[in-house]
Amino acid sequence: MLRFWSGAVLRLVAVMLMASFAGAMLMRIAPGFSSDDQELNSGLSAQSMQAIRRAHLSDSNVPRFYAQYLASLVRGDLGTSRSLNQPVKELLRERLPITLVNLTFALAAGWLLALSLAVAAQMWKFPALNFIANGLSGTLISTPAAALALVFLMLRWPPAFAAALLVFPKIYRYTQNLLQQSGEMPHVLTARAKGAGPWRVLAWHVAPIALPQMIALVGVSISIGIGVLLPIEVVSDVAGIGQLAWHAAQARDLPLLVNLTMVVTFVTVCATLISDAAQRGFTRSAA
Amino acid sequence: MKRLYLLSAMLLLGFVSVFAQTGGELRFCLRSEPKTFNPLLVEDESSEAIRYLTGGVLVRVNRLTLKAEPALATSWKVSEGGKRIRFKLREGLKYSDGTPFSAADVAYTMEQLMDPALHSSTGDAFRSAEGKLAAQVISANEIEINFPAPVANLVNLFDTVAILSAKSPQKEMAALGPFFVSERKAGSYLLLKRNSYYWKKDAAGKQLPYLDSIRLDIEQNPEVEALRYKRGEVHLINTVSPAIFEKLSADNASVRDAGASTDTEQLWFNQVPGSPLPAYKKAWFTSTNFRRAVSEAINRGDMARIVFRGHAIPATGIISPSNKFWFNSDLKPHPYDTSSALRRLQQDGFQLQGDTLRDKAGNAVEFSIATNAGNRTRESMATMIQQDLKRIGIKVNVVTLDFNSLLERMTQSYNYEACILGFQNVELDPNSQMAVWLSSADNHQWNPSQKSPATPWEAEIDKLMRAQAASGDERKRKQYWDRVQQIAWEQEPFIYLVNKDALVAIAPAVKNAAPSVFRPQTFWNVETLALAQ
Amino acid sequence: MKAVRLAAIAVLVLTALAILGAHYLAPAGYEQQFRETTQAAPSIHHLLGTDDLGRDRWARLLYGMRVSLTLAPLAALFTTVLSGLIGGIAGYFGGWTERCCKLLIDLFLSVPWLFLLITVRAVLPLNVSPEASVTVTFALLGLLGWAASARVICAGAKDLMKSEFVWMARASGFSGFKLVRLHLLPNLRGALLAQFWISIPVFIIAEANLGALGLGVAEPLPSMGSLLRELQDAVMVRPEPWRLLPLAVLIVVISSFQVLLNKQEVRT
Repeated sequence: MLRFWSGAVLRLVAVMLMASFAGAMLMRIAPGFSSDDQELNSGLSAQSMQAIRRAHLSDSNVPRFYAQYLASLVRGDLGTSRSLNQPVKELLRERLPITLVNLTFALAAGWLLALSLAVAAQMWKFPALNFIANGLSGTLISTPAAALALVFLMLRWPPAFAAALLVFPKIYRYTQNLLQQSGEMPHVLTARAKGAGPWRVLAWHVAPIALPQMIALVGVSISIGIGVLLPIEVVSDVAGIGQLAWHAAQARDLPLLVNLTMVVTFVTVCATLISDAAQRGFTRSAA
Repeated sequence: MKRLYLLSAMLLLGFVSVFAQTGGELRFCLRSEPKTFNPLLVEDESSEAIRYLTGGVLVRVNRLTLKAEPALATSWKVSEGGKRIRFKLREGLKYSDGTPFSAADVAYTMEQLMDPALHSSTGDAFRSAEGKLAAQVISANEIEINFPAPVANLVNLFDTVAILSAKSPQKEMAALGPFFVSERKAGSYLLLKRNSYYWKKDAAGKQLPYLDSIRLDIEQNPEVEALRYKRGEVHLINTVSPAIFEKLSADNASVRDAGASTDTEQLWFNQVPGSPLPAYKKAWFTSTNFRRAVSEAINRGDMARIVFRGHAIPATGIISPSNKFWFNSDLKPHPYDTSSALRRLQQDGFQLQGDTLRDKAGNAVEFSIATNAGNRTRESMATMIQQDLKRIGIKVNVVTLDFNSLLERMTQSYNYEACILGFQNVELDPNSQMAVWLSSADNHQWNPSQKSPATPWEAEIDKLMRAQAASGDERKRKQYWDRVQQIAWEQEPFIYLVNKDALVAIAPAVKNAAPSVFRPQTFWNVETLALAQ
Repeated sequence: MKAVRLAAIAVLVLTALAILGAHYLAPAGYEQQFRETTQAAPSIHHLLGTDDLGRDRWARLLYGMRVSLTLAPLAALFTTVLSGLIGGIAGYFGGWTERCCKLLIDLFLSVPWLFLLITVRAVLPLNVSPEASVTVTFALLGLLGWAASARVICAGAKDLMKSEFVWMARASGFSGFKLVRLHLLPNLRGALLAQFWISIPVFIIAEANLGALGLGVAEPLPSMGSLLRELQDAVMVRPEPWRLLPLAVLIVVISSFQVLLNKQEVRT
């Protein structure tokens, strides 16, 4: 167990470092790194323009920037956002809780809806129910996040609902396929033929086969949730991490981007670690 | 007649005093979070709005009459052709935190502003030559400022200088303007409260501003802003897009077209000699005939009618016709005339073969127009130009790029062929466009930072620009500027497309509003705005 | 259920015909601007009305479907193969291979790929044709979209490797490719298919969002994505409900595929 967790922490740190470094490198290589919209400000003198360019180029040596960043990170200093003139720590403290609350809500609601529909479709094979559930997930999966977020804004519903509805079809698809497949396994069919009730079949025969993949899906759904929520935040003007990340990308704000990559990586990797651990625990107890 | 006048004046006063009692909270949106609260470092629109609402300035330019009016200064005198200015200040004023105001604060502000290490565009506007500024405090309410060289449009420039307090412990947050920042939630909103020490009173002697507070929500999405306006959650929208304007007016929401603005939208070709473009394309783009042919093949009328839903006029040149004093009224927009365009192209050896225009060497004429992604208006303009130019056999590819990538191509790699962007002209005085029209300037977009002027007409513009900057005589300056406009109209380094209207939305509940085409369109007279209950 | 299946087949046949015969079905080119009738309501001349620049919406829908419904499934197939391959290898071999693959997956999910896309746009020549630009975009989406599902596939494969029938298959001499083909792939089909179907609309919409970076289709070529992007002018949607048609078409077509596929899956 100790070995698992020390390996896990190592993996977490490694991925965080690699991802944020890769993000910084990508931003550096992408065009526009040393550009600033102030360059079109005809009110600035040539000297001021030079100064702005120099300031942008100060971070252009990414390995050096990164080394300095890590050194100050150890001291608990996350640096200062270049475009917002504010300490990154402060920005994260203001915005992280908002995103986390929305993410938790979106995932909980998305899972609840997906699981109940998938289980219901599996238990009672009503064509109508199947049709509705498939129709709903099909519709939602084909709906652009931005359009749905706008509809929600018009209706004054919280954006987290929109995120939940967009997370739902992805979970539903996997879950439903999993349950269906597991339901067609020979031993499940045998159990059913022997007269076991649907709940019993689900609990004793289907669930154990489907569970490991479902637990893996929990981790995946967190990344899906982040992927869905961040654009919604941008559209709905929720002052969360998504809005901040979009701003960092547009303004080529290296210190902000590196920290945000760290945060997103931390959440994603922790989610997978937890699902790995759960799966591990499960297989061990099953064995 | 006199009695009628008196009656209407009394009525007006009566109204004003009624509203004076209403107080209330005015709400509107900012497109982004202000990047700074330091009024000297303002570059973005949101910070500019905060500066306008909270900053105390020596003179305020009335956005309707365009005349400088006394604010913190009761009077001023410019001498030595714009090298020196002496201000007489109001007495007994205080900042929002109670710190007293004096001439020392003005001196402190000017010294901070002109610090070369600050790199402030507000400060750079005063910097006409090398050398230091001297701010001399003559008495507690009198100050004289000496510049190393004459500064064009000197008095009006002080409209952007918010006076900092040299002593206040709150530093730049201590306000002399009608409001001060009392609360802020990052990425969400800002709350401004009424400054009870504000100096201004209305005609009835009532202390201004009438409003108790202003709530500024950060709202990036203009669609959402329009929805919230329709619901009555916000009172003002400073710039409404033509599509939203039409929609709002169809829904009977209160919107106003304040007339053509001073902003321009233009297309230009890359004429940088060192750009990575093939030589034959450079030859096209540096040809006056080619540029004018493209200009004549663009149907500006259609563009104004379709993309801007009629809320724009075909552009003539550098200066918008709404800038009445400086606009050269002898000039007219280039007419839409494809046969004239083809004639011009033939003069340069271009031939229309079938559907394709070819140059002397037989190269098919094809180029790309880049613009910033996410700006639907510009994308539509580019798409219309694409179809217009197809008529004279030119193939255009529309490329949208994220803003920073586009900037890098425009200012560093010069790897682009043509570009559409718009310029916001905040200042009425065209002197603010020095950095665009001088051939040595960084913002001389089509061929920036030239060591010596690349063409005779650029050399002539350089000469005229320097002459107008050095002259204190408005009439002479206007003559120089008329000539600059004439040359730009003939050579078309920038192919000006349209001047869009200033479209605003002001809720009926907002009283005393008088929208202007100049920034800040709806709330320039914020101290007298009031809310009906 | 049979009626639904028949309807689905009909939808798909019609879609295929519409895509192939766009040239004959459209009253005008997708780029032609009828400048006197912009934003027109549906009429006999313009079945779905015209857009902001006066272009025929019906023509744009037909050509948009051709672009998106050809390229998005290809990209989805590519990403499904990638996720099957990487997830499968990780699950099949286990141990260090699995750990490395998982690290790669985590990394892939965390890196801000946005900048890669911006860089690719910068590398592409400015005069690249709209068709080439949209193809490159879908190829990139296919290349970057595999990570999330690879993890699920990996878990599934790993589980199968431990299952009794694989043990038995191994004991009876099956190994390598044969084992994968006969036992792993058939049992992972559900997860792989789910990935495939989820990816298609996701890619179509992602292409629309990438328009904000200057990737994706360039004017005047339409795609489903660029047509959906018009929905963002939300204030316009209510008085002009026909603007919602591209969204409805997308939903119906994708759902029809799913109906058919689910049936086949049950049959085999």
